[in-house]
Amino acid sequence: MLQTEALESRRPAGYTTKVRVRDRYRIVGFISSGTYGRVYKATGQHGKEGVFAIKKFKPDKEGETIQYTGLSQSAIREMALCTELSHANVVQLEEIILEDKCIFMVFEYTEHDLLQIIHHHTQPQRHAIPASMIRSILFQLLNGLLYLHTNWVLHRDLKPANILVTSSGAIRIGDLGLARLFYKPLNSLFSGDKVVVTIWYRAPELLLGSRHYTPAVDMWAVGCIFAELLSLRPIFKGEEVKMDSKKTVPFQRNQMMKIVEILGLPRKETWPGLVAMPEYNQLQSLALHRQPAHFHRGHSLESWYQSCLKNGAYSSSSKAGSPGSDGFDLLSRMLEYDPTRRITAQEALEHPYFTNGGPISGDCFSGIEHKYPHRRVTQDDTDMRTGSLSGTKRSGLPDDSLLRAAKRLKE
Amino acid sequence: MAANYWASTQRRHWLFTREKLAEVRDRLRDQDKASHSQFPLPDQRLLNIYFNQQLIKLGKRMSTRQQAIATAQVYLKRFYTKNEIRQTNPYLVLTTAFYLACKMEECPQHIRFVVGEARGLYPEFITPDVAKLGECEFALISEMSSQLIVHHPYRTLSELQTELALSSDEVALAWSVINDHYLTDLPLLHPPHIIAVMAIIVAVVFKPSHPGNFGNSAQSALAGVMRDGGGMGMLAALSDKSGSGPPRVQNLVQWLAESEVDIKAVIECTQELLSLYEVWEQYNEKHCKELIGRMVRTKNLDK
Repeated sequence: MLQTEALESRRPAGYTTKVRVRDRYRIVGFISSGTYGRVYKATGQHGKEGVFAIKKFKPDKEGETIQYTGLSQSAIREMALCTELSHANVVQLEEIILEDKCIFMVFEYTEHDLLQIIHHHTQPQRHAIPASMIRSILFQLLNGLLYLHTNWVLHRDLKPANILVTSSGAIRIGDLGLARLFYKPLNSLFSGDKVVVTIWYRAPELLLGSRHYTPAVDMWAVGCIFAELLSLRPIFKGEEVKMDSKKTVPFQRNQMMKIVEILGLPRKETWPGLVAMPEYNQLQSLALHRQPAHFHRGHSLESWYQSCLKNGAYSSSSKAGSPGSDGFDLLSRMLEYDPTRRITAQEALEHPYFTNGGPISGDCFSGIEHKYPHRRVTQDDTDMRTGSLSGTKRSGLPDDSLLRAAKRLKE
Repeated sequence: MAANYWASTQRRHWLFTREKLAEVRDRLRDQDKASHSQFPLPDQRLLNIYFNQQLIKLGKRMSTRQQAIATAQVYLKRFYTKNEIRQTNPYLVLTTAFYLACKMEECPQHIRFVVGEARGLYPEFITPDVAKLGECEFALISEMSSQLIVHHPYRTLSELQTELALSSDEVALAWSVINDHYLTDLPLLHPPHIIAVMAIIVAVVFKPSHPGNFGNSAQSALAGVMRDGGGMGMLAALSDKSGSGPPRVQNLVQWLAESEVDIKAVIECTQELLSLYEVWEQYNEKHCKELIGRMVRTKNLDK
């Protein structure tokens, strides 16, 4: 198809890249891996300036040789969306290189992410994240999310690890691998990917089997992240029930319980759509098996919030400051059961939590003395193995053994 | 982006002027003059009709929705602004465009299934090896710079449906007109809302005497009326703000004047559609098939 190639080799459907990853980037280390593939840290070279994170999508293998097997829908979505999107609070794509049957998405490098920042605040002992920093993080996160939602993009996988933070304190929403457009989808959103959002951040309507969900699922996740920034622990840390061999989606009873323990049972009086939820019966059975008293403690989120402020020594006179009652109100609106009544990104940005209490810095580290550790980058795998598929011994190793080695090193 | 056509890659990278598009194609031709004289192909629009029929055949067997077919057609157009068709196996390219569009429009089909279906239709030109399609997918994505999100006029049509109080017959006809516009260069030349407005005008002005099912294309319903002087009459009605013509059309003209839609562009699109319906009469599926088949076989493009 490419002119030169067609003339040279007479292989008209043959694909050769015009740009090679190695010509532009020098890999300096390995960052992380997931089901999609691996992420590397790289610096530009040969005239290219900057530091980058390169996401390499794992190609399918048939035996030892890598074959073209068609790209995953998730890769296609992420490529298309990242190419189209541009916003200060959404991760910036540098370029996409298709080379040697692999996809390399080159992103700006971000030094931190919220998971790492939260973790840092639990070491060596717990010390709360300053209230002003949380306010800036949340404001920027909502800003990016508003951009996504007004462009009909659902993120569907918001969690601390996917919220990136640059060294200058800018928040970037990352990992759009599960994101998709929701404008009049051809198939119901449910039919494509049956399980969406890491379980601790999964909205109640998803747990109850909703077929048609909305941007409200992302707002629930933001609420969970807000709570986690305040308490340094996931607010609803349930245990996931694995999908069975028939690939039917199980009811996530434990996760639902965790939510109910803090918010009380959802009621059809305050959530009219509740009875129409596919898993409504499951929810009722869950209510029957529990002590009634357990569900009628009333303002449970409020007591959770108050004890969280107390444990974190948040108060207007302390160094950490306090998110105050506005913070509670915003959190409770994000963790609203009924998705149609849950606060939207737009409404949240106009909430008194942001409009009261002075200016919000676009640098979440502004006024913070202490430094966060840099992202951990390991040196055990700096070979992305492009163009040398059957070269060294190492490249002959199955991908998993390398992966496990990297994980061990991390721990 | 998805909601924002104005900031989209479609507007920034895939909108051509007529001159620019002609220049791009001339350049491709100049790079391979020998093939051009050795393998003449039908008018681009006739080829488009042929490709579209193939996509519909593929889609039918997999019950794919029209929007995915439309996206595949746009991918083909974009790809062939970067590559000379005579250096490709069009059957492979169109099957790949279909496969990719289905993923992008969230109605994915398994690669083996797509290859199987395509082989059923073109056993001579599609090899059972799925890697061929996978490789072609890389070429398609790369040539389109990963800009895979396509804005279609269907959305504007459904948004305007209420505002303009369109009847279901009018909407159905406008929908078919939109289907037809993919057979022309219009998707590379005009933003989707212009196309949608054009389709609505055509539907309202030429409301056919036999309302009902127009099928996929509006050609049979419209070719006659538009050619018989109707087309020109409509163009006149659009430019005439003094308010002659039937009230339904007058209302539309009024709305157009207030909406700041580029009327000149709308008229140009109407003319393009009219000329498509004229050229359509020369369409001969067998002829297209023979010319493409000879080219692919002689040049070993399917290997």
